[in-house]
This record gives sequence, C-alpha cells and structure tokens, in this order.
Amino acid sequence: MTHSQNKSSALMQGVVIFVYLAVLTVIEYFIAVAFDAVPLLIVVAVIKAGLVVYYYMHIYQLNADDGDDEHSYRYKTGTNRIGLWLFLLSDAFVFAGLMVMRANLLGMTRPHLNQTLGLVVTAVLLVSSFFMNRGETAMKHGDVKAFMNNTLVTFVLGLGFFLGVVFVEWRIAAHEGLTASFGNPSVGPVGGVFYMMTGMHAFHVLTGLIFLGVVWNNARKGVYSAEQHWGVEAAAVYWHFVDLVWIFFYPALYLIGTAV
Amino acid sequence: MKKFFSSALARGLFWQLIGLLAGAGLVTGIRALMGLSTTDTFFFTEPAWVLGGFISALFFLVGSGVTSDWIKWARGIDTPDHHEDHHTGWEKYINLSLDHKVIGIQYTLVALVLIGIGGLFALIFRTELAASELQFLTEDIKLFGQNGPQLYNTLMSLHGMIMIVSILLGISGIINYVVPLLLGAQDMAFPRLNAFSYWIAVPAAVLLLMSLFLGGFDTGWTGYPPLSARAPVGMQMFFLGVFVAGWSSILGALNVIVTVLRMRAKGMTAMKMPIFVWAAIATSLIALTATQLIGLSFQLVMFQRLLGMGFFDPAKGGNPVLFQHLFWFYSHPAVYVFVLPGLGVISELLPVFVRKPLFGYRWIAMSSLGIALVGFVVWAHHMFTSGMNEYLRVPFMYSTLLVAVPTGVKFFSWVATMWKGKISTPTPMLFVLGAIVVFLMGGLSGPPNATVSTDLHLHDTYFIVGHFHDTIFGGFVFPFFAAIYYWYPKATGRKMNETLGKLHFWLMTPSFFVLTFLMMYTGLIGMRRRIADYDPALGIDFYHLLMTIAGYLIAISVIIFLYNFFVSMKKGEKAEGNVWNSRSPEWQVPSPMPVHNYDQPFEVVGEPYDYGLKDSTYVRFVESAKSAHK
Amino acid sequence: MQHFVIVGILVILMSILTYLGLDAIGLAKQMHPVAGSAQAASIDQLWNLEIIVISFLFSLIVVPMIYSLLVFRRRKDDTTDAEHIEGNTTLEIGWTVAPLIIVVIFAYLGAYSLGEVRRVDPQAFVVNVKAQQFTWVFEYPEYGIVSTELYLPLNKQVVLKMESSDVIHSFWVPEWRVKQDVVPGRVTEYRITPTLEGNFKVRCAELCGVSHYAMESSIVVTDDAGYNAWIAEQIAIAAAAQTPEGKGKLAAVQYGCVGCHSADGSPLTGPTWFGLFGKEQTVLDGSTITVDEAYITESIRDPNAKIAPGFTSPSVMPPYPNLTDEEIANLIAYIQTLK
Repeated sequence: MTHSQNKSSALMQGVVIFVYLAVLTVIEYFIAVAFDAVPLLIVVAVIKAGLVVYYYMHIYQLNADDGDDEHSYRYKTGTNRIGLWLFLLSDAFVFAGLMVMRANLLGMTRPHLNQTLGLVVTAVLLVSSFFMNRGETAMKHGDVKAFMNNTLVTFVLGLGFFLGVVFVEWRIAAHEGLTASFGNPSVGPVGGVFYMMTGMHAFHVLTGLIFLGVVWNNARKGVYSAEQHWGVEAAAVYWHFVDLVWIFFYPALYLIGTAV
Repeated sequence: MKKFFSSALARGLFWQLIGLLAGAGLVTGIRALMGLSTTDTFFFTEPAWVLGGFISALFFLVGSGVTSDWIKWARGIDTPDHHEDHHTGWEKYINLSLDHKVIGIQYTLVALVLIGIGGLFALIFRTELAASELQFLTEDIKLFGQNGPQLYNTLMSLHGMIMIVSILLGISGIINYVVPLLLGAQDMAFPRLNAFSYWIAVPAAVLLLMSLFLGGFDTGWTGYPPLSARAPVGMQMFFLGVFVAGWSSILGALNVIVTVLRMRAKGMTAMKMPIFVWAAIATSLIALTATQLIGLSFQLVMFQRLLGMGFFDPAKGGNPVLFQHLFWFYSHPAVYVFVLPGLGVISELLPVFVRKPLFGYRWIAMSSLGIALVGFVVWAHHMFTSGMNEYLRVPFMYSTLLVAVPTGVKFFSWVATMWKGKISTPTPMLFVLGAIVVFLMGGLSGPPNATVSTDLHLHDTYFIVGHFHDTIFGGFVFPFFAAIYYWYPKATGRKMNETLGKLHFWLMTPSFFVLTFLMMYTGLIGMRRRIADYDPALGIDFYHLLMTIAGYLIAISVIIFLYNFFVSMKKGEKAEGNVWNSRSPEWQVPSPMPVHNYDQPFEVVGEPYDYGLKDSTYVRFVESAKSAHK
Repeated sequence: MQHFVIVGILVILMSILTYLGLDAIGLAKQMHPVAGSAQAASIDQLWNLEIIVISFLFSLIVVPMIYSLLVFRRRKDDTTDAEHIEGNTTLEIGWTVAPLIIVVIFAYLGAYSLGEVRRVDPQAFVVNVKAQQFTWVFEYPEYGIVSTELYLPLNKQVVLKMESSDVIHSFWVPEWRVKQDVVPGRVTEYRITPTLEGNFKVRCAELCGVSHYAMESSIVVTDDAGYNAWIAEQIAIAAAAQTPEGKGKLAAVQYGCVGCHSADGSPLTGPTWFGLFGKEQTVLDGSTITVDEAYITESIRDPNAKIAPGFTSPSVMPPYPNLTDEEIANLIAYIQTLK
C-alpha cells in the first residue's frame, strides 16, 4: 500500500465512522420519541462511545510497541499516552459522579429543554470531532497545512458549541424558568442538575479549545512533523473525550424520562 | 533571609496573596456594578472569597515558576529534559526542583509541618476535653468571629482534614523518594507534573488554614450538608482547600502508575518488584480515580451555596444522603490510600531486620490490590444509620467484612516472616513492630463497626474515633516514622540518633495505646464524636484526663523526633554504606544518593527478598547504559 | 515442632486471658452501658461473639510475634542470615479461606441480628419526634401532647417517626444501643422496646452545629401506671393552657425555642427570655433598642436583623417565617410573664 492510499483509506475510515455516529444519533432520537426505552438508549450510547474510543481516540495505541530506547521520542510518546489516558480515566469519574447525581435526583424526569437546539449542539460537536479526526490523520502523514485547516474548522465548531450552550441554550432555558436555583420537592433540583452537568461539560470544551489553539499555533511555527506530533495526538484525544462525555450527557439531559 | 524571600516558596506565597486580592476584588467590583452588597462579616462577600481563593492557587503556581516549562511548551519552545539544581543545602527545599528525591523530601517536610499544626489543634481541644464543662473554649470568648464551642468545632474539623492532607503528602513523600530508586529509574515519568503535584499542595494548605480565620466551620471533616450549606464562609475555604489538595493527590498518583509501568529496570517483572512498589500502585489506583468524587461532592455544595442550586436542599427536591454516597465513595477508599503505603513499608522493612525472605510475596502483593479493589464497594458502611435504603445495609456489611480477608493475609504473612528469623530491633524495626500491633488493634476493632446491628450503637461515638486513630497510626504514622528512620541515611548520609529514636518509640507507643483504648471505652459508655463538652453524669471525666495526658506525651515524643530529625542532619553518625545490610538496589550505592540516582544502571537477577540464600543478589550493575533498560 | 506446641498453648492461654480481661472491665458479655431495650439483647449477643473472635485473633498474631522477638532474636555477633523460607502456598490458602468462612458466618449473624433489631410489633404506638438545632420535641399524636421530655411505658414497642427541620441529627440513647439519623426532607423510623425503668438521655450523635454537644433531652421509662399518670397530667396542662401565655408556652416547646432560650436566666445558645421583655440593649450594629413586640417579632422572622449583644453574626437561629401572627403574639405574652 502506498503512502497516499494509506492516507486516503484512513480519511475514508473517518467518514464511515462519522456516518455511523450520525445515524446512531438519529436512531437514538427516534427511540426516545417513539418508545422512551432507556435500556435501548444506553445500548446506543455505548455503541457510539465504543466507536469514538476505538476509531477516533485510537485506544489500541496504548498497546503499541514503543521500542527499547527510553530516550527516543517514540518511547516518550508511549509514556505520555498512558499518562493522558489515566488522566481521562480520572476525569471520567467526575462525569460518572454527575450521572449518578442526575439519576438519583431526577430519576425518570428530565429538564424541559428545546429539542431542536439539543440536536443542533449535538450535531455541531459530532461534526467537530469528524474534522478533528481528519486533522490528526493529516498530521500523521505530515500534511501540516491540512491539519491546520481541519483544526481550524474543529475550533470554530467547538467555539460555536461553547457559545451556543452558554449564550443560547442557557439563556433560553433561564428564560423558560429553568434557573440555577429552580427546583421544588415534587420535581427535584432540575436547575442545579442541568447547569452543573452542562457547565462542567462546557468547561471541558473550553479547555479543549485552548488546547486546540495551542497546537494550531505550534503547528504554524513548524513544531510538529509526521513522526513527532504528540501534542496534536493529545489535543485530538482530549477533544474526542469531550465528545464522548456528550454522547452520554445528551440522552441523560434531553432524551430519558419525561420533561418537567 | 534574602535567600528565603527570593525562593520559589516566597514568590508563590506573594503571588497567592496578589491572586486572592485580585480575584476577590474582581468579584467585588462586579457586584458593585450590579448593585449587590460588596462587603460582609469577613470584609469580602462569600463569592469574592471563593473566586479569590481559587485564583490565589493559580497565581501561586504561576508565581512560583512550576508551570514555566509548560507555558514555554505551549508557545512552542523546547526545554531541556532536566534542569540542574543550582540551589544547595536547605534552599533546595524551598525552591523549584524536578529531582524526585528533592520533591520527596519537600513533601515529607510539609507533611511534618502539617502534622505539627494538626497536632497543635488536637492538643487545644484535647485540653478542653480534659474535664467536663467548658473551661476555656466558653460561650463568652470571641476569636475569628467564633465563640468557644464554634472554635472547638473548627479546630476539631481542621484537625481531621489537616491530618488527612498531611498523610496524603507524607505517603507522596515516601513514594516519591523511594519508588524511582527501587525501580532503578532516574526520575519519575513526568518530573514537571511531579513538581506541580507537590507545589499545588502548598496553596491548598494555605486555603485550608484560612478557613480558621474566616469564621471557621462546624461540620467535621465530612462537611455534610445541609449543615455545611449554612456554615460560615470558612466552609468554602475548607472545600476549596481540599479540592485543590485533591489535584495533588490525583496527579501524583497518575505519575506513580506511569513510572512503575514504564521505568522499571531490565528484568524487573511484576513479581520481582519490591513489595513497596505494589503498595504504591494499589494506593495510586484509588487516589487517581476515587479522589474525583470528593472533589465533586464538595464542588456541588460550593455551588449550592453560591448559586442556590438545590442538590442537597430538601426544600428544592435535593437529597442530603446523596452527598454522603458521593463523599464516602472516595473517603472510605481514601483510608486505604493512607494505609496501603504504610503496610508496604512494613512488608519492605520486615525482611531486612528479620534476615529472612518475605513470607508469601505474591500473596502480600495481591492482598494490596485486593484491599484496593474491595475498598471501592464498601463505602456505605459509613451510612448504616443515615436513613439510606434499608436493604443496602446487608450487602455493604458483607463487602466490608470481606476486607478482613486480604488484611488477614498480610498479618499472617508478617508473623510467618518473623518466625524463625534472626530479628534485630533498631529504631526503624521498633516502629515496624509497633505499626503491626497498632494496626492489629485498629483492624480488630473494625468488624463490630461492620456488622450493622452493633454499629447502630458504635456509629458516631468515640469508639469510632479510637478505631480509626488505631488504623491510621498503625497504617500510616508508625510506618511513616519507620520509613524516615530507615531511609534517612540514604537521603543525608547520616543516621538519626538511636537513643532518641528509641525514646520516641517507647514514649509514643504506650501513650497511644492508653489514648485509643480509652477512646473506645468511653465511646461505648456514651461519649459522642465531635462534641465540645460532655455530660459529667457519664462519669468519664477521669478517663478524659488520662487521654489528655497521653495526648501530651505523644506530642512530647514527636518533638523529640523533630529535634532528632533536624539535629542529625549535621551531627548524626556518618552512615554512607549499606547501613541496614539490605538487598535493595538503593543501598548498593553510597549515601547520600547521587543527583541522577544510579551512575550505572542495574538489572534484576534475583528475587528481592532472598535473605539467607547463598550467593544470590537482587540486582547487578551493568556497564553499558543502553542495554540496561528495557 | 516444639515451638509450634508452645506457641499454640500460649495463644489459647492468651485468648482466654484477653477475653476474661475485657470481661472484667465489663466489655465482653455486653456493650456499655447497661442494656435498656429488647433490641439491645441481640446486639449484645453479637458483640460478645465478636469479642471472643477478636480475643483469639489478637492472641494469634501477638503471641507468635512476641515469641519470635524473644526466641528468634539475633544473638550478639551473629551476622549470618536466617533460614531461607520463601512461603508456603498451603498455609496461605489456609489463612485466606479460614477468615473467609468466619467472615461469611459473621455476615450472616450480623444480618440475623439486624433482623431482630428491626422486628416489628404490630401493637407498637407512634410518637412523632421533631429535631432541630439544638433540641428534641416529642408529639404524642393520640393525645395531642407536645413535650420536651420523652415518656415511655415499659416493655411496649414504640415507633418514633422522626423529622428534622434544619440539618441532620441523630437519635441515640446509649442504653438502647440503637441509633438513627434524622434527615431533613424525610421521615426516618426508630423502633424500640424499653425494658429498663429509669431516666435516660437522648443524645444527638450527628454534628449539628455550634451547640451540638448540648443537644440532649431526658427520657423517662416508667411502668404503665406512671406513664398513664403522666399522660393525664399533660392533657390537663394542655387543656388549662387556653390563655395566650399558656399557648405561647406550648408553642415555645413545639417550635423548639426552649432548646436555646431558657426561661430562668440560665445561659444557653441564645439569649435567655427571663426578664427580656422591656429591656434596653445595644445590638450588634451599635444601635440601642428596647425589647418590645416589634423587636421580638422581627427577631423571630429574621434573626439576623438585630443581633443581641454577646452573640455572633450571622445568627445561629434559623428564621421562622411560617409562624402566624397569633402564635407570635402568644409567644410574646408568654415571654412577658418571665420576670
């Protein structure tokens, strides 16, 4: 297989995975509308998460052979990779804790939210992940220019998501009475749960944006090459992780249970 | 003095103050523009204190210079792998260093400072408890906006959390110093992250102590809402301090795991690692993951206070018991974070002083992992009386009792290691033996708390206080002292004074037994936890007097230790060789340890604890640097 | 082999001595203090079994340790290592499985004992318990009585239905052995059958604030005759209290005011009501006020408005926005009588 074929097949794979994810999201939405079947929603979310973790975050690279030379870039990248994944594991406990909180406090109810907006922000984040994957693939093949273009798209979409959540989603929610302190014994502390979950996620999006900005700028300065681009890989994996969290938060906030 | 003021520590603290004022000022300014109140009982309003506190920690980190290299990386500037320390002597320890040995000692020193502060708090309220009725922490006194009983609650709560932070720093100290040496690594996997993990603990400790001056808080270290949602602003500083300290623990643990996975010497397979490394791994797995949950639970209360989010407020449909679940999901495994390294120290030192292999190495290694894993599913035994779902109590009783099995394996293996050995008892070994017996007391007083019906009586009494002081002293304090006496020559090239060391041991141990036994005894009679005063009708005044005396004796013994610790650096007996005649790699090279650890890498050629096996060694130093590392 | 025999005998001796020693200070056959409820019996039984096992395990570890220290100590000038024994898989399996069996047995006994403690008597009567900082209030729904003391008849099961209006408290009577948290926003149950006559105290066991240590109320367990007499007396008092002062006095109990405000001048968490009405005082913000109807009403509705001299800000007292004007007037009438 030649170099360019390799690259185009990697890019193709990104497209295929994106289509899968998009279709699954639509299916998810209709499951929620038609059957309200929570176990089915969990299954779909887990499948989506599996696709992201394997094809976008490349978890199998943890197992890669890093050679014997402790001082080589390759070996150090392998070490860094384990560090990053352990960090994500740790971070995942925060989000798991938030999910537990949501399940305990709201049970089979959910906040009253604008469904169209929910689908739009989910789609924006999903598309951003797709471009992130394209960018990283480009970098793997030494195409800095394509990496920068794709990352820029990712960044713009991510920024759109962040601003959309904070200035559109939150504003609409607050306008419809879902303030941070909203809650009463019969409906539960919906306001707190909603803002805490979306807020914690938005905070991670924000840090991811900063991370993307940093690697974009470094790429511009010519720091990365096809062989040495750990920063790019880390930023990409982190960005996909943020998407991964939303894969679970979206149904938890928008789809499961009845709106109050 | 000039050297102090130009140190990273002083710069950090200066910037922390600036950060505090900047953050608080920002919020105050915004509030003024919005027409909200700008001052409160403690000058700034609560949101101002919180944001100020948070920013102060960030400013500390940037100001002390620990993030400089990362900022350079972010700007695309490369930095050398290692920076040479250009500081010497004591200055090394208040300045930025990437050397794991320096960081390990920095951790240990801060842990000792915090033990001193936490111990002082304990002495204050222990004195108040010496007799019934309020003697000097009365309703009339006013200090930092608190009356006597409130001050008692603050000091008691802070004693708990400061000791917990000091323990976390203490185990990080030992692990940081020892683990790379045991593995044959030059440093930890991420030296900058390592320095960051240490330095972030300093502003955390400052924030924690600030709570005392901002009205204190009266919830105990557990910070249960709704009480913590109503406490003075000191509560927020407490939450923030713990939250920041948690990052020290999480990132430190991450570093340890990666170091063990990636930096072992050639030939060091999993079952040939020194046993302490297993303990470090087990403890780090918990710290890495579960710590997030205490951070989250405290964060939720902080937001509830700031924004009225009703997570734990029944009036808004919140659930106070949910907090307890989230909190204990970390805080029970946390005690295994505290004790596993200590138990590792016991297992590591015992063979050296018994001159016999560690009995059942594999079993001890696996028991550490076993305790860590079972530890994840026992948390609700802290909540048997909490009003949680009745039916949950029985499964949690089963899982809790199950912890006894791997712990038992450790005890039996230690005893079997000692059996037919040739035992000598210098100071480190005395503390190891003390640790085993004290931890045994803690372990055996555990099951009555695990079986639900007996716990209905024991929960929240002084019995529990006695029980966990036993486990923490046996699992951390005694091994911590043992480790310091044992590795002190490695770090300094001098031994600590034996006579003073033995005096320390023989003063502390009996006093401690008296203290904790009476704690359990009075607890059964009716002494509750966390009370500023007790009913004279209980007839426990005399026991409390004895406990107070015992407390002071322990304090004196620790002062003797500190004197020994600092004086021996200059005046201790020279000890540059293999003082304890150990097989462990770090003792095969002269003390104090060279800057970049081993000049020649080693490879593992035997078992770590094969004492008594002729012509066997654990490691062999090799010439070529290339071939030695895997 | 000889070592094993000696240690074996010593372990058995030591176990017996440990148990007897604990028994001598009253710690073995039952928990402290004296048992005062039917539920305590099964708890103490389990405790006794646990102490037996604890005594044995303690000896099993400590005796061989001390024996090794004495017999296997390093002789002077002996620099050789000890015998090379790496381990013994059979032994390891043994001391993993044996504790596992003990654990399973105790978990079963624990669950059984819990079942005994929770055993429901269908005849049980209900008392409502209201906990708040820093007082307990007891309501007898059958009789419409409100009291700060809990009176109970001997050998009859009672269900305490407990509610908290502010923070978490915990209901604990050491003699009864059982403890239950009182959580705001829900009703928790506490089931007990007192079997011992006398005066006891309920002590709040969950840190609930500044005066948590003082949150104790008295409990009286008497025979049926004594109990009925007390009930009759309380009903009579309630019936007599039709004046505003009388209703105010009852309201002071019902809302827990008496937990912090004494009627006789003794210092509690809050200012005493004795001689309070009509007093002139300089409040925390520096202004001088007279304690009158307006001031008391304001202090009940918003305790932070004007804090009495000698007390801290923010006030420990929660606001009582739900009290009706009539109830407040009754309270003031009652306070006026305290001179």
